[in-house]
Amino acid sequence: MSWMSNLVVKQSLRLFKHEVRQGELTIMFLAIVLAVATVFSLSGFSNQIKSALVEQSSHFIAADRVLRSSRPISQAVLTKSQQLNLHYVKQVDMSSMVFSTDSNMLLASLTATSDLYPLKGELLVSRSKKAMLAGEFQSVHAPKSGSVWVDAPLLAKLKVNVNDQIEIGNSLFTIAGVIKQRPDASFSLFSLGPEVIFNIRDIDKTELIQAGSRVGYKYLFSGNKQNIEKFSAWLTPQLNDTQRWYSIKSQQNALAKTLNKAEKYLSLASLLGIILAAVAISVAARRYSQRHQSAVAVFKAMGASKRYITQLYLIHWSLLCVVSIVVGLCCGYLLQYLGLAAMANYLPIESSLDWSYPLFTAIITGLICAIAFALVPLRELIETSPLQVIRDPILKANKFFSWRYLPAALALFVLVWLFSRDWLLTFVLLIGGAIIIAILLMLALFLVRFSRTIGSGAGQAWQLALANLKRRATENSIQLVSFTLAINLLLLLVVVRSDLLADWKKQLPDNSANKFLINITQPQLAKVQQFVDENNLTASALFPVVPGRLTAINNERVVSKETQKEQIASKGSNKGTDKIAENKNSKQRIGIGRELNLTWLDALPNNNKILSGKWWSANDDYAQVSVEKSIAKRLSIVLGDELTFTLGSDVFTVKVTSIRDVHWQSMQPNFYMIFNNKVLDNYPATYIASLYIPPSDESIFTQFLAQYPTITVLDVDAMIKQLNNVIKQVSLAIAFILVIVVLAGCLVLVAQVQATMGERQRDLAILRTLGAKGRLLRNSVWYEFVALGVIAGTLASFIMEIMVYFIQTRLFNMTASFHFNFWLIAIVAGGLFVGLIGILSCWRLLTKTALHRYAV
Amino acid sequence: MKQLTKTVTLEHKQLTILKPIDLVVNAGETLAIVGSSGSGKTTLLSLLAGLDLPSSGEVYLKKQALHKLDEEQRSQIRAEHIGFIFQQFLLINSLTALENVMLPAELANKANAKELALTLLNDVGLADRCEHFPNQLSGGEQQRVAIARAFISQPDVLFADEPTGNLDSNTGQHITNLLFNLNKQYGTTLVLVTHDQKLAQRCHKQIEMADGHLIAEQNNLTPLTSVDKAVKL
Repeated sequence: MSWMSNLVVKQSLRLFKHEVRQGELTIMFLAIVLAVATVFSLSGFSNQIKSALVEQSSHFIAADRVLRSSRPISQAVLTKSQQLNLHYVKQVDMSSMVFSTDSNMLLASLTATSDLYPLKGELLVSRSKKAMLAGEFQSVHAPKSGSVWVDAPLLAKLKVNVNDQIEIGNSLFTIAGVIKQRPDASFSLFSLGPEVIFNIRDIDKTELIQAGSRVGYKYLFSGNKQNIEKFSAWLTPQLNDTQRWYSIKSQQNALAKTLNKAEKYLSLASLLGIILAAVAISVAARRYSQRHQSAVAVFKAMGASKRYITQLYLIHWSLLCVVSIVVGLCCGYLLQYLGLAAMANYLPIESSLDWSYPLFTAIITGLICAIAFALVPLRELIETSPLQVIRDPILKANKFFSWRYLPAALALFVLVWLFSRDWLLTFVLLIGGAIIIAILLMLALFLVRFSRTIGSGAGQAWQLALANLKRRATENSIQLVSFTLAINLLLLLVVVRSDLLADWKKQLPDNSANKFLINITQPQLAKVQQFVDENNLTASALFPVVPGRLTAINNERVVSKETQKEQIASKGSNKGTDKIAENKNSKQRIGIGRELNLTWLDALPNNNKILSGKWWSANDDYAQVSVEKSIAKRLSIVLGDELTFTLGSDVFTVKVTSIRDVHWQSMQPNFYMIFNNKVLDNYPATYIASLYIPPSDESIFTQFLAQYPTITVLDVDAMIKQLNNVIKQVSLAIAFILVIVVLAGCLVLVAQVQATMGERQRDLAILRTLGAKGRLLRNSVWYEFVALGVIAGTLASFIMEIMVYFIQTRLFNMTASFHFNFWLIAIVAGGLFVGLIGILSCWRLLTKTALHRYAV
Repeated sequence: MKQLTKTVTLEHKQLTILKPIDLVVNAGETLAIVGSSGSGKTTLLSLLAGLDLPSSGEVYLKKQALHKLDEEQRSQIRAEHIGFIFQQFLLINSLTALENVMLPAELANKANAKELALTLLNDVGLADRCEHFPNQLSGGEQQRVAIARAFISQPDVLFADEPTGNLDSNTGQHITNLLFNLNKQYGTTLVLVTHDQKLAQRCHKQIEMADGHLIAEQNNLTPLTSVDKAVKL
């Protein structure tokens, strides 16, 4: 190392040491610390929360991932799963008649499964009828060879009991237990009879699988998260159109939707936190450069070369970054540790955390911010002319648009992409952001200039404040944009959080139905109603149901999707694209492929909304049907179409008179097709209803059901509890993230106020010298910042409303709404908070001695 | 310097700040540049010191053509031959008084920078304020540190821009005496820009500027050295 290097290192360290002690680098240090800590804690924390939520919810598919297929899958897939140390369960699903030894028979849903089922969650079984009535059950896996687990209604319908034998196909089985709860029970109200589970080793004995028999194959996988992901990445490209690979998140139920929304919110919050921290660094870097310009000019005047200055400040800056990143990592670790510890009571947090990802992203973020945001300010610093020692630089007009912002914009682009891994979101966010900033700058400039006009008649402090606003119009506009962005992003998070919680609350109101009763016969109707009334229960209406199949639209036959898939699969092609092409070429519409539950009603049910057409009146004398919007879209059904249904051997045609939106997450029976009462009245119907059974009435309910064993119960209690858990846990996690993001937002505000301190200091000194009283100066500073805060709060509210609209409708699929109550909060809080930060930051400058010292 | 001019462009308009000027300053001489605000004094100083480049003309310092050198080469010249004193003192706030004084000596690669700095701080009467930061010193004290800093590298030429401009008259007088005493002690060529006639009178020579022109040049036959001796710091 040459003498120059030694000296430069010595001087850098000297500068660094003193500046740290004098607090000169605090804002910059805090900005980097916060960015790194935010990324470290949020990426670690939200990933942990996300995977813990998914882990906990995976019980509902009894595995981490499921592969559903219409044919057995190749052994290579199973071998691969074993190589990755995954557990798997093979299942075969089918419908078949089961017989009692007394020759009673019943159509049942059969599941043949391998021993390890379920891989996640619990299969609860009562070993005797007595135990069942007493609510006693135990957690089991697949039954032993030769025995079965059955649904309770099967006992009543076949007139058999536990330990009796039933015949499935060509084989006899002993009923070893009654199913109380199956983790991956279908939540479909449409069921092909009671469930029977037997061991897959017995499947050949039953001889049920023959050429042409309609069976479905399910392969359940579980294991280490990374291995599951590896397996998924390996498997996905090989899937064909007759196979479906899914996790709990890709399911179409309320839990999956809640999980997805929670995940999206956590990601959004983390992203906004990171953007705020990056903005703080950007503002602080500019301030860093400005503060050191005078020193660089002196160094140069004393003969320091540009190379020397470059080395001096590179070392200085690197020291600052390294120290800040290390402290940031420590803070991030601590924050994440505290956050996860707080959540550990509610969620299965993995004990062995994978630190590599948060660590890597945090360091990368710190470096990107430290390099990209400082590049231009540092370059400008190094280029400082020595002439500045005797003359202030000729101020270049502060351009709104300049290439100098390019590295920062690129860095932000990389950061957003790094966290979202979503090109579209990244482009939309940044291009949208740039447009918003440009509009804001122009608006801010206009408002700040306008303020002088409106301020002409105000009191003295106000006049001074407004005059100051106008005089530093460009700087104030930039400051205003920073304030607006910080307030806007904070507001956005608070508003979306409040909307999300309200949405979840709406989805699961208190006492929302936790049981569905299916297959209630006409004679049982009165008894069910009586039970509901006597126990004062909350219940939905009783809906009549007739199973029917949609066979033609406008006299054009629809094809079963299964049939078409099988036709395609039998052609032997394995390439998905070919199949899609064939599908497109096929002119026939693909139908629903199964029977639908058809109902008829006079009035539009709750949680249903007519989108087009009109609901019928009681006087209409022709057959009509109202179609749910997603199925209408899928089958290209429009108003006025004639739909043909087959019920048993009968065929009838009805006209579509309305298209409905259905809130599927509402805990009530919902229907794709609702008829008016001109058609289905004559068909024998069963009824379904949903009701809320409080935990205290559970035993009365069990006793009631024991009297009517043919009624099937769909118990969604576990799912509702899980939904409530997810909502509670996510709310907690959100609160944690909000704290960090609010910190980042505050830092932006403080950094921005600090950035204008130099000029402000000079102005205040001059005013003081001219005899302005302390009170006047304090008030003028207070009013100036309050005015900035109020304008920023107003602009932020306006932008928030636009952004929330897109987030609600595009990201969360929610209904858009206005949030005027938050406008007031933003404006008042913005004014007070910015005012407070302003006055606190200027406090030292407002004391007499400091001002006099400067003015001497 | 020969036929030195300086023109700047402000808002698309050409503004000539310095019209052709010829000037010679001999080694060991003290020169005061006086004139009203905006007359071009500071611009002239910046060109003489190699802080800026002329639009046309030639500047020589110790036979080196400053106008032909780039910023890096001029930095080197400044490090070796030039010292500065500014109206605003321009101490580096994050360095102590001692470190501020050491700075030019360190940049000029002087091995005994600390000893020299301590001696000079002692000379300017601030031996006990070495570890203080600029914001802990009064204006007069800051300027004394600046003077110590200016002399540490024993420059051939010392440029002073309104050295008393920010000080009250009493303190200004002390600073002036200190400056001239050290100047004499080190035999430095001194070029100072000032509004202060008393200060200008103490130089061997003074030139007056107006509107970018050198309008008068006078030799002070009796530099007020006797006063120097009378003043005790």
